[in-house]
This record gives sequence, structure tokens and C-alpha cells, in this order.
Amino acid sequence: MITKALSPAEAYENRMHLIGRITLPVGLILTFLPPLILWLRFGILPPGKSLLEGVVGISSVMIPVSIVEVLTFTPILGSAAMYMSYLTGNISNMKLPSAALAMESAGVLPGTKEGDVASTLAIAGSVFASELIIVLGVLLIAPLSARLQTPALKPAFEQVLPALFGAIGAYYIAKSWKLAAAPLAVALLFGFLPGVPTAISIPLCGLASVLAARFLYRKGLAKA
Amino acid sequence: MGDYLDIANDPVFFACGAAIILFVLGQAALFTRAAYREGRRLGMERRTLWRSFRAGAISSAVPALAVIVALVTMVPVLGVPVPWIRLSVIGSAPYELMAAGIGAKTMGVNGLGGSGYTAEVFAASVWVMCSGSIWSVLLVAFATKRLKKRVSGSLDKDPAWRNVLMNAAFLGVFSIFIADPIVRGGLPLATLGASALIMALVGLAVSRLKAEWLREFALALSMIGAMGAAALLAPLFS
Repeated sequence: MITKALSPAEAYENRMHLIGRITLPVGLILTFLPPLILWLRFGILPPGKSLLEGVVGISSVMIPVSIVEVLTFTPILGSAAMYMSYLTGNISNMKLPSAALAMESAGVLPGTKEGDVASTLAIAGSVFASELIIVLGVLLIAPLSARLQTPALKPAFEQVLPALFGAIGAYYIAKSWKLAAAPLAVALLFGFLPGVPTAISIPLCGLASVLAARFLYRKGLAKA
Repeated sequence: MGDYLDIANDPVFFACGAAIILFVLGQAALFTRAAYREGRRLGMERRTLWRSFRAGAISSAVPALAVIVALVTMVPVLGVPVPWIRLSVIGSAPYELMAAGIGAKTMGVNGLGGSGYTAEVFAASVWVMCSGSIWSVLLVAFATKRLKKRVSGSLDKDPAWRNVLMNAAFLGVFSIFIADPIVRGGLPLATLGASALIMALVGLAVSRLKAEWLREFALALSMIGAMGAAALLAPLFS
């Protein structure tokens, strides 16, 4: 058998996949520690029938959602970024915006090798910061519970998503309003049609965005 | 019969949470080291690499505070350690509450906490919360490599298009969240506007004053300012 020499870039990709493919399943098993401890140490286990019903119920929601979501995020995020994002969650409200703005502040383009490195580091930074801040929150949970539920602060935290995406919107409109127009129009349309789950609206909006971008690019109206 | 919250808050679960967080940080450390070396190999400056890491950390600080707020709302019904673990790994508050609700329903209990929500019902909630996230994690673990090969193979020929495509893909996801407050109007729209305005001002400051260092703080500043505006403006909209 002939062993093919890997280029350094391929070796890097393979290394990232290796780390991800080991850590993600192990992490998944670790997340089952709480229910396993409830069962093995405290002897508390729901009846088999309920358990089965619950697993089937949640899976019937999550299997289609997961497939669509993974297909949407894989082209956007680098491999390492995918493995970290899926272990830690909060993808569209934390990991994606961090990655987008970090590439900007590092002055590299998304989709390039440098962009992949910068977004991987940004998401790692995001993981460290968010996990440590949440740990602090857990340590201070008693005093925080009282503070955060004061009427004056409540509206601020209820509006955390608009506060995030206003800035993101301004950034992309300033950067390339032509690219932003189509997905925003489709998203507004979905907004006025009540009851469309994000598992459907996000991929469709992404598709519209990509098709419009292809059109603009062919016409020479969209530049990198 | 003991209260299920005594069990839910047992130290063993805190130890469990600590172990899981350490594992997550370990994974991030492995990826950081590999990406840093690759960046150096590609000729990127140390400063640029460190700046990316820092930008990611700073941009996540305010969303992380929002996770703590979600945690605070879940603690009275599920104890501290389980929401902490679930929100630190994989999950998000709406998913966890839905899953916990499904778990309770299979035991014939509607709603979380309250009477009838026994230790066994709590266990059913926790099993369902954990089971729902199996699929996405397994899919990413075993399909990413194959999917990536397919995606990059078709895009390597035209780097300029690749870059436009990436921005378009980001925009596709973000647009849904930008459009939502516009449709809802009122306080969400006012908050969105305040955030966009601050971002624009920070952008102007970066280009006019050559204040490059401001860039990494742009998102955090916009969020804090807009959330402050939401708190001030709330009485007008209620």
C-alpha cells in the first residue's frame, strides 16, 4: 500500500476531526451522568414505559430539527468550530456572532484558511468566557436570583436577542446591504406568517440568501 | 417522602457539573492549541491570533449573562446543578423547558414543579432533556468530516464566491433574528434600533478615530447600551 503524504493543511483538518470525533461522543456520555446518578445512587428511575414515551416524543421533534440545523451550520462554521459549538450549545445567539465579528477584528475573510483559524480561536474564547461566567453565576446564584428579577432589570434581559441582533444587522447592512436585502425580506415575510418554526424558516432564509448572493455575484454586484 | 429538590441539589451533581465543565474547557484548549499552531504556520501574527480569541470571549460575555438569567428562572423547579449542566452543555433554555415538560407529561404531570412533581417525575424530565440532544451531537460527530469534504471540494475553485457565500450564509441565519423584533414592534423594535445605532457609532469611531482596539468591544458595548435602553424605555411600552 502506498501511503500518501498529507499536506500540512490536510494534516491540520484531520487532527481537528480526530479531536472532535473523540471528544464529542465522550462529552455526550458525560451529559448522561445526572440521570444515571439519579438511577444508580438514589434508585430513582421513571417506569420504562414513560421513559420510552419521553425519548420517542423528544426524538420525533429533535431528529428533523437536528438534521436541518447541522446542514445549515456545517458550511458556515469550520470543523473545529462545529465540534465545539455542538458540545456547548448557544450557537446562533453566541457562537456565530462571535465568530463573524472576530474575523472582522482579526482582518481575515470567512471561508479562507486564516478565517477558519480566527473563527476557531474566537469560538474557543467564547467557550472559555461563557463557561466561566456561568460558573460565577452558579456560585452567586442566591444573591443573583433576587437582583435579576427586580422589575427594573427584567425588561433588559427579556430584550437580549434584539440587543444582539440590532448590532449584527447594522454591521452587515454597512458591510453589504445588497447581500442583506434578500434574506431580510424573506425573514420579514416569515415574521408576518405566524407559527413557522425556526427549523423551517432558518434554512429557507439561508437558501434565499445564498441564491440571491449567487445572482448578485454573477452580475458583478457583490464583492468579497 | 423527601422533597425532590433536596436530591436535585445534592453535592454529587455539583461535582458532576464541575467534571463536565472541565471536559468542555479541555476540548476548547485542545482546539485552541491546534488552531494557534496552524495560524502561526500560515504566517498569522501572534497578536492577530490572540485578538481573535479575545474578541470571541468579549463578544460572548453579555449572551452568557443572559444564560445566567435563564438559569435563575429554571432553578426553582429543577434545582441548581441540572440546569447549570444543561445550559453549559448543548442546551438552551427553551429546549430544556420543553424537554422537561415532555418528561413530566409522560408521567401524567402537567407543568414543572408544583404538587405531583415527585423525584420520579424529575428523573423523567432529566432523561428526556438528555435524550433529545443525542441526535445533533452524534450527527456532528460522525457526519461533519464527510460533509466538510463535499462542501470544500466544490468551493475551492472560486475563492471570491466562497467569501460572498459565507457572508450570505451568515446573513441567512441572522436575518430571522433581525426580522423578529421588527415584526413585533414596540420595545423589541426600540431595543433593536438602539443596538444598531450604537454599533453604527462604534463603527464610525473605529474608522474616524483609527480606534482599532474598539472593534472587539463593539458587540458587547452595543448590547449593554441597548439593554440599558430597554430598561429605561420599558415603562413607555407597558
